[in-house]
Amino acid sequence: MSDESTSKWKVITDLKTNVVKSIFRNPLPSSDRGRAATSFTNLFLHIQPVKVSKHSLKPTYTFGLGLICMFLFIILAVTGVLLMFYYVPSTTQAYDRMLDLRGAVAFGGFLRNMHRWAAHAMVAAVFLHMCRVFFTGAYKPPREFNWVVGVVLFLLTLFSSFTGYLLPWDQLAFWAITVGTSIAGYAPLVGKEMKFVLLGDSNVGQEALLRFYVLHIAVLPIVLSTFVAVHFWRIRKDGGLAKPEEADENAGFQTVTIPLYAQDGGVPMAAAATVAAPIELPRRTFTIQGLVRGPFVKVGKLKEDNVYSWPNLLEAELFVFVLTLVGVLLVSLFFNAPLEEPVNVMHPPNPAKAPWYFLGLQELVSYSAFWGGIGIPTIEVLMLFLLPYIDRTKVGVGRWFAKERLLPNTLFMLFAVINIILMVIGIFFRGANWEFVSPF
Amino acid sequence: MRWALAIGAFIVLIVHGIVFYDQFTNRWESQQKAYFEQARVQAKTDAERISLETRKPKIEQTIVTSFGDTHVDRCQTCHIAVDDPRFVTYQQPLHTHSYSEAMGDVQKNGRWERRHKFSDFGCTICHDGQGRGLTEFDAHGKDPYWPLPMLGYVSQKDWNKKYIPDLMGKDYIEVNCAQCHTEEKFAGTPHVAKGRTLFYEKGCYGCHRIEGMSAGTLGPDLSEVGNQRKVDYLWEHTVDPRSLVPTSFMPQFKLNDEEIKSLTIFLKSRRGMNFAETALDRYKFKVTPTVPQLGGTQESEAKLTPAARGDKLIHERACLSCHKLDNIDGGISPDLSYEGLMRNDTWLMDHFKNPRSRTPDSVMPAFAFPNDDYVALTAYLETRTTPPPPMSPEQTYKALCARCHGEKGEGNGMSAVYLDPAPRNLTRAEFMTHKPEARFMQAIADGVPGTSMPVWGKVLTEQQRKAVLDYIYATFVKESPKELKSRNVAEKNPVPMSPESVARGEAIFVARCTGCHGRKADGKGPNSLDISPRPRNLRNTAFVNDTSDKRFIESITYGVEGTAMPPWIDYGLSQNDIGDIVNFIRSMNEVKR
Repeated sequence: MSDESTSKWKVITDLKTNVVKSIFRNPLPSSDRGRAATSFTNLFLHIQPVKVSKHSLKPTYTFGLGLICMFLFIILAVTGVLLMFYYVPSTTQAYDRMLDLRGAVAFGGFLRNMHRWAAHAMVAAVFLHMCRVFFTGAYKPPREFNWVVGVVLFLLTLFSSFTGYLLPWDQLAFWAITVGTSIAGYAPLVGKEMKFVLLGDSNVGQEALLRFYVLHIAVLPIVLSTFVAVHFWRIRKDGGLAKPEEADENAGFQTVTIPLYAQDGGVPMAAAATVAAPIELPRRTFTIQGLVRGPFVKVGKLKEDNVYSWPNLLEAELFVFVLTLVGVLLVSLFFNAPLEEPVNVMHPPNPAKAPWYFLGLQELVSYSAFWGGIGIPTIEVLMLFLLPYIDRTKVGVGRWFAKERLLPNTLFMLFAVINIILMVIGIFFRGANWEFVSPF
Repeated sequence: MRWALAIGAFIVLIVHGIVFYDQFTNRWESQQKAYFEQARVQAKTDAERISLETRKPKIEQTIVTSFGDTHVDRCQTCHIAVDDPRFVTYQQPLHTHSYSEAMGDVQKNGRWERRHKFSDFGCTICHDGQGRGLTEFDAHGKDPYWPLPMLGYVSQKDWNKKYIPDLMGKDYIEVNCAQCHTEEKFAGTPHVAKGRTLFYEKGCYGCHRIEGMSAGTLGPDLSEVGNQRKVDYLWEHTVDPRSLVPTSFMPQFKLNDEEIKSLTIFLKSRRGMNFAETALDRYKFKVTPTVPQLGGTQESEAKLTPAARGDKLIHERACLSCHKLDNIDGGISPDLSYEGLMRNDTWLMDHFKNPRSRTPDSVMPAFAFPNDDYVALTAYLETRTTPPPPMSPEQTYKALCARCHGEKGEGNGMSAVYLDPAPRNLTRAEFMTHKPEARFMQAIADGVPGTSMPVWGKVLTEQQRKAVLDYIYATFVKESPKELKSRNVAEKNPVPMSPESVARGEAIFVARCTGCHGRKADGKGPNSLDISPRPRNLRNTAFVNDTSDKRFIESITYGVEGTAMPPWIDYGLSQNDIGDIVNFIRSMNEVKR
């Protein structure tokens, strides 16, 4: 760098009204204090803690699944908004708009592909994230309610995908939603009412399209975002991601010498006792009151495996984001989102299949409408909600497939595998009249 | 982690590059640029040359609202030279759309003026295809999910390859000419006119309804079939109905390729939309009952005798597209050449008014003719009283029996697939050798009521009939009749008819018989498709009332050899049970007077 340019730059930065400084008030951190400060000097970064445990950053611990869900949601929101500039939720216009998006709008087809594949990926990622949290025992106290919030998010994700599925208004969309809402109609007492509220009519038509559109672009994103915010808040307040206790090297006992005093007067005796005293592990508190009220905390002398969020957590997040983006981009480049014939109410396809994430349900419904469509799914969801209140043991947190948790892990694995098998049967092994066919 | 991040970011960059390139290079742009080049070369004035030099490619779009649903046609984005007469010699897509006087185009001062202007009509109104598409695949409608592929130029991936060559060609555009030019003899739509004629000539009108043309109810309503089916389906269904609809009883008519093409174009043109009509016209048409003209006015035929008129009608009303008469043979239904020797007036009139009153499982439609027409036809058929010339038994079989029973006697003659009950398989030796000869002689002489077995009693002498039967035994059965055990079977049903007996019989029937004979006792039970011959339709009143109690009791008790009918005496049915079943069967076939 020549002297001239440095002096030019210096001249600019020394100006009293420095434009750059007015936008970026804090320079890039170069000290620990600066790194810590990023968490409260930047709007977007204040979501992150100052320090994060090394254990949480291990790729083989979380596989970045929670982040993948979040980034997919962001990709969906961005591509969704762009698609909204061209889509019209009208039974007479929707299909034509899809054709225009595919053929006449620059990037229309590609954005639609991204939106569709990100949506399918998000449903899968949310499910896998739930499995990860279960198998690492990360729903145990104090994280019970965050698990419940997570289950709510799972259901919201499914519902968002379902409402979006109808919007292309082609044969695939129409009949999938017909099947899905009919299953909802099997609920006792409220079934028919529920179906009418969903569809705005007795059949899928303009009313359903409008309703699903409003749910998909406005109601569900707002509700989802709110729950996501609660989910993240809870993570911060629970002290970050769950981690196993052994990771803290300071657990255990330390020998301490205690001077002894005689009973009368308090003259120190020439004696001392040596005891092993448990170390009060600093329970991380995140409220200001904690600073005043807590026990005596040894600060600074304990071994910690925490690292600063800047740049470690940010790097990890960026990495997951790029991976997610690459995945979505590559799939969108090579595979087109399907667009079948325009809706023809007189021509139901045989078989008429719900979206893939409901095909396990449809397979069950083929055995029993009530138990398969309403009974068993409701029981499953209830079990999911109540899980952290049923299993309140505190063992095995933060470790994959901890031996102490053999029973719950086995049960959950069974539940997951059975659901996946049912889904696979519904997708590949069922043909016309829901008869068993070979996909080969 | 850092290098993985770098690789990922690199891939993102590459994909962005590919997508940008893909989105911003369009084939239609290069087509347009080629057009500008060529037009510039041929430009006559400087001004034109300069404007073409500076012209930028853009999407050319015509929006047509005057003909039903809005059409958004972007075809001219590639086919940009479509109105430029200098490009007649160029290849597609830069080819001028043809001008012709037949299309109403006129020449003025050496230049053609188009009657069907692109600004008024767009392109897809005539050609179909997908107006909004901007690639050849989309715009021409090659996507199998697009319901309107370009007529006569495009086939889709799931079409039957055998028929694709037949579905190509300019003629197919007549389908859409007929949407506005609905007159019956419009010069520009000869195939539509021929198809309409064939619709009557081949008898399609008897089974199918087309609004304003016919009122048939046996087959689907074809008034809007052009909107519901693509041309490949229409062609294939006409050629072989059962390849597309396995349970169809539509006959395979004798049609050559030209005729099938005309029919396909005619049917495809039935789109339920006549642009020339106003909504009010359509409403008035709907509420006014129309009687389709079926050729031949009453007055010109008033001078004819009924029989002569019947002769005329039988040839004009498409009867012979199914039936046989002398040398004209549709190949589908029975030979009517000797009908006067087989059936009487009453039978014929009943059969005309409703074929199923005489043959319950007949596939013949009930044509909605006026009664006089039926009288005339009956009178004519009653004049057919000349027996066939003397022939050897083999020739007799081939001429009279093989039509249903098949060349090899297997019950698979040309008519067999349309007959219910199916013609007997004469090679089934176990059946043929366990029945007394007298039974077959009677069947030949008197026919079998409720079935299509004709009454040969007056057509062939007893000698001839015996000779044919002997021929059948020698050639098809190939075994000699077995010694028949004498069975003790009552002549009449020992159980008297009563509501209680019928109720008991029904209970036993539901428990034991419905597997083959069906819950409706019509012979269409779940097992029926797997056995040959098919189970008897026990609601075939004509048949049941002509069958003696003895025959029913014998069949149920001892079974029928050579068929799947079991001997129920071995399965626990007592004589009283069987008597109850017979009463139940009879109760279903009581003729109410």
